[in-house]
Amino acid sequence: MAGLISIYAFDELWSVSNMVRYGLQALQHRGSGRYTVCSFDGAVKCGAGSSLDEIQQHASGWFSIAGIHSSDSDTAIDVENGGVRIALIVERSYSELESFARSLVKNLTSRGRVDEALTAVVEEHQHQVPSFGAITSRGEAIVYRGLDGLTPMVLGSYGFDMAFASSESVAIEILGGDVRKFLLPGEFVYISKNHMRISRVGCSNCRGRLCIFELLYVARHDAVVDGVSVYGFRKKLGSRLASNFDRKNEVDIVVGVPETAIPYAVGFAESVGKPFELAFVATGGRLRSMLFQNPLEKLIAVHLKMNPVRGVLEGKRVVVVDDSMVTGATMKTVSQILRFRIGVEELHLSIASPPLVGECPHSVMNLDVRSLLSANLSEDVAGKYLEVDSLTWLSLEDVDSVARTFNLCLCAKCFGAEFVGCR
Amino acid sequence: MKVLVLGSGGREHAIVKLIMRSTARPRVYVAMDYRNPGLERDSVNSGGRAYVVNTVDANSIAKVAEEVAPDLIVVGPEEPQFAGVSDLLRDRGFTVFGASSRCAEVERSKAFARMLMWKYEIPGRLNFKAFRSIEEARKFIEFAGDVVVKPARQAGGKGVKVLRDTQAYLSRDRAAVKRTYVEKLYTEMERYRDIDYKILVEQRVEGVEYTVQVVTDGSYVLPLPAVQDHPHAYSYDIGPETGGMGSILGPGVVLPFLTIDEYKKSVEIVKQVLDALSKEVGESFIGAFAGQMMLTGLWGPTVIEFYSRFGDPEISNLIPVITSDFLEVLERAAVGKLAGAGLNIEMDMVSVVKAVAPAGYPDDRAAASNHRVAVDEASIRKVGCEVLYASIELRSDGVLYTKGSRIVEIVCGGRDYEDAYRKAERAVQYVEILDGWPQFYRSDIGSPELVRERCRVAERMRRVYTSRAKRGMLGQMLVWVPGEGVFENPLTGFVGVSKP
Repeated sequence: MAGLISIYAFDELWSVSNMVRYGLQALQHRGSGRYTVCSFDGAVKCGAGSSLDEIQQHASGWFSIAGIHSSDSDTAIDVENGGVRIALIVERSYSELESFARSLVKNLTSRGRVDEALTAVVEEHQHQVPSFGAITSRGEAIVYRGLDGLTPMVLGSYGFDMAFASSESVAIEILGGDVRKFLLPGEFVYISKNHMRISRVGCSNCRGRLCIFELLYVARHDAVVDGVSVYGFRKKLGSRLASNFDRKNEVDIVVGVPETAIPYAVGFAESVGKPFELAFVATGGRLRSMLFQNPLEKLIAVHLKMNPVRGVLEGKRVVVVDDSMVTGATMKTVSQILRFRIGVEELHLSIASPPLVGECPHSVMNLDVRSLLSANLSEDVAGKYLEVDSLTWLSLEDVDSVARTFNLCLCAKCFGAEFVGCR
Repeated sequence: MKVLVLGSGGREHAIVKLIMRSTARPRVYVAMDYRNPGLERDSVNSGGRAYVVNTVDANSIAKVAEEVAPDLIVVGPEEPQFAGVSDLLRDRGFTVFGASSRCAEVERSKAFARMLMWKYEIPGRLNFKAFRSIEEARKFIEFAGDVVVKPARQAGGKGVKVLRDTQAYLSRDRAAVKRTYVEKLYTEMERYRDIDYKILVEQRVEGVEYTVQVVTDGSYVLPLPAVQDHPHAYSYDIGPETGGMGSILGPGVVLPFLTIDEYKKSVEIVKQVLDALSKEVGESFIGAFAGQMMLTGLWGPTVIEFYSRFGDPEISNLIPVITSDFLEVLERAAVGKLAGAGLNIEMDMVSVVKAVAPAGYPDDRAAASNHRVAVDEASIRKVGCEVLYASIELRSDGVLYTKGSRIVEIVCGGRDYEDAYRKAERAVQYVEILDGWPQFYRSDIGSPELVRERCRVAERMRRVYTSRAKRGMLGQMLVWVPGEGVFENPLTGFVGVSKP
């Protein structure tokens, strides 16, 4: 996963430097602190780094594209062809990046119409091109949402002065803008000095499906993804999960694993009529443990999130709600803390998604099948390893029916289904 | 009957189309700045003719008028009004529909219009500051917060900067733009010698915009249905400000996002302004007048600015829905006999207008000019729409060329938005720039989705202003500066507050 933000000022009076900073900060939860930025102030300039201060210095002029990633490889490039330079930042590692960038700049200069150019290049690359932001030395900006539709792209504006495109609606709001449109799979925006157009790359066999993790885990609670309130969706899954839990009257308290699982726990608690309580407080910023690739970094992020709140949970029968279970490392940590340091009476684990059984074929999520708990351990062994009194999941059918009520079409390959929702 | 219409663009073409339907079967003459092919053809077809003449030059216009000897003259645009064309024509004894230069001050000077609203305590007024000198403006802008910076004179519907400033972490960037922009705008405004105030800084509001147009003879006010214009250049309300990329009307006199009560309040505001204006300038307003309104949380119906003429493209929306004799309405207004006049419209119809523009509009008119254009009028009619010619010129080679602004307006009526929208989307495809230069239009205007989105925003604003009304807070926005007191000054921002 990654986050992209593009900022285009129609009036050259603006400098986007600060906006790049705050825009990236609003997307921080989508990566693990590796930033790239390319800007235009008459010429194309790019920079990369791991601190926002550093990145801000690379952003200047009146338009920029920037990204935060979890991996360094094949996520940004800047090439020249026939005197035109193009800088491109993609939303996930793309091994064909260089060939794509070269072909795009060649087509942009040789073909009159940007629709034709982009359609030709995307076709040439078997429709596999991920979402990207690009700027050229001719003063053009292009933002594209991949035909696979796996990750979102939102269009926004600020007065008469600026256009924004962001992987998540929150960055547009943080920049004081208004969300205007959720781009469809294959849709792109082209802006040059005198012109802006929104168009769509055609593909007859392509089916745009949003990655299920976008809604389960990646997006912020305050985001709206393809028109759907993330908070509303999560609460709904939480209450659906509660209906699979058969000990409603034998528990005292519902808690969520910080911070993604909070809305699920709120929905669960509301549904079973038991109080929702805060169980943990995080130290430092919001660390997305799942997005780290290095196992030690991942554990560090988990451990920093988990200082327990004392005084309420001791001796209680507690339901712990989480959004998903990958390796189980987070849950293992949680159960150890709740049992040994707090002393809960019972611990019931409820996961607001089905068991993860496969890798992500689109390399959107970094899942290794050998370390997926539910792909390797039986339910019984898992319960013992995690030291929980019960383990409840959502079924694929549950997620499917909730996704339908929100009119969503989600890729669910890692859960062992082609898709869920897609009415 | 002979009618002389002044002006060169889409608005005048709409006026001509509307009056040509009259049972009086008028011969229409047009005085225009360039050979607008639509105006030329329609005037000739009616038995009249078109003159190419500088429309802000009162003497040249008077000469045309004397040659034509019309029964009625309709002054379309605002600039001839500012330049005293209506005044001279009236002096020469012609019957004129169009504001006098003194009445047109309400459009020309945005500072005058705002002061009028405050002096007469008319609802829907915004806080503002107007500046004659750059020194004053410079000093003030240092402390300005969540504001709109505008030219204080009507400048073709452009030059407005809406600077939402509700994020302290970005306020320095906005302050920098405000500073630079004030300098730039002042330089641009200096060329207007006909005005004192150059720059207006105004409280920023948000909500849903709409226009309420009226026709008046100086005492009786005949309201037209509300219309919504779309000022952003590009789809989804993105991009620079234009004169308007399209507009919607109906069904009935209100728009789907506006209640009858809000419409009536807006008409009431417009009437109060007309009253105040005639008291202030000592003359009756004869002609078209419009309030560019916004439904805001602050006031409900709120005034953004005024037009001393019909809106462009707003007037075009009347074409499919109006059943009254429009010429009769204009004539009765011009001779002071409007009392009791009504306007019949198809109550269950809507209309959608879309402008098509060359790339470069609105910021680079030179680049947008001199491109060859083809308009397949027959196909547009087949779809059920009409085409109005705007910034497009018929040259001696018999070919149409762009003049840098909106090329044409496509006007489509329908039984609902879905119907009118579908027609408009088909019809715009029949306008083509022939030399490969890009053109654009807004595909979102009139779409049922956009109309629904406007309803959602209006509903939010309605909740806010209704609650403010209950608390007696309409129009008020309080600021507390600890140690100094509570003020009503919503123009000051974070940068100002942080100063010692």
